[in-house]
Amino acid sequence: MMDEFQNGIAAGRPGSLRGDGLAPVMMGTVEPPPLPETAPRAAAQKVSPEELALIERIRAGERELFMDLVRPYQKLVYSMAVSVLKSEQDAEDVAQEALFKAFKNLAQFRGECKFSTWIIQITVNEARHRLRRANRANEESIDAGIESDEGDYIPVDLADWREIPSEALQRKELRECLHRAIGSLKPIYRDVLILRDIQHMSVAETAEALKISEASVKTRLLRARLQVRDALAPGIDGSWNSGSTTYKRVRSF
Amino acid sequence: MVEGKTIVEISCFEVWRRISDFVDDEVGPDLKQRLEFHFGRCKHCKALLDGTRNVVALIGDEAAFDIPRGASERITSALLQRIEEDARDASAE
Repeated sequence: MMDEFQNGIAAGRPGSLRGDGLAPVMMGTVEPPPLPETAPRAAAQKVSPEELALIERIRAGERELFMDLVRPYQKLVYSMAVSVLKSEQDAEDVAQEALFKAFKNLAQFRGECKFSTWIIQITVNEARHRLRRANRANEESIDAGIESDEGDYIPVDLADWREIPSEALQRKELRECLHRAIGSLKPIYRDVLILRDIQHMSVAETAEALKISEASVKTRLLRARLQVRDALAPGIDGSWNSGSTTYKRVRSF
Repeated sequence: MVEGKTIVEISCFEVWRRISDFVDDEVGPDLKQRLEFHFGRCKHCKALLDGTRNVVALIGDEAAFDIPRGASERITSALLQRIEEDARDASAE
């Protein structure tokens, strides 16, 4: 379990980061082990020299530099928390908690993955932990599509798609709809979607971070994207574009 | 036939399996040509393609996940306070 945390990865085993979304090592006040002497060399492979230098200085005692280290990821951390919790207030609390846990466990970060990947996993685990405590784990899934014998996802609606312009993201309801759609995905799909399409990690990086094959990354990403597309479909006949606040079903062919 | 080359048609089901790879430009040239040929003839799959591309663009847009006004400052402030408290606790031990 400690290795999972050190690597900032999800192992896909029951009870691990990937299994139930909780990483016991992160839930208590576990003292991190001393940093292995080989860590700087390993870190150099994945972490930028600037980040590596910051991490070393923080480890050496310059605690105040931690904010400089995590500032570029604050938005991502918050977004991840919102996606899981679907509550801005809870997400704020979880973002703060996740960042503090990252600070407390910084010595365990060995640079075997990107720092952003590591911090994302801490956030996801913290958010899921919060979700469980709040007994809200029975979230509604948007798994509305039909799963064929081969496990393919069949889109719910194949009607014409009217593009939702980026400007529409200024509208809170569209952003909330996106957050709900992503948050309602099963974790195995959501994690891939977030790493690929929000964090813009490559297929190989995502596979490495989640300890799954590249083929699995592609399969899960396909499913996640199609499900989110289906979730947004009720808005595509004009409500996102025209400013209307009412949902209208899309005309079918 | 396109420019003297035969393009083997593929089914909508097969297109759906590969549509995400197509959006990411992670399909080989032959399959890419077959998919493009299909999208040119099948309005359903073209709609699916457009929708998938739109979703990827929206999710990847920075504006999709803005931090509410004041939240960033609150997180930073609380975090700094906890780090300071942690330092005091560590020095007291």
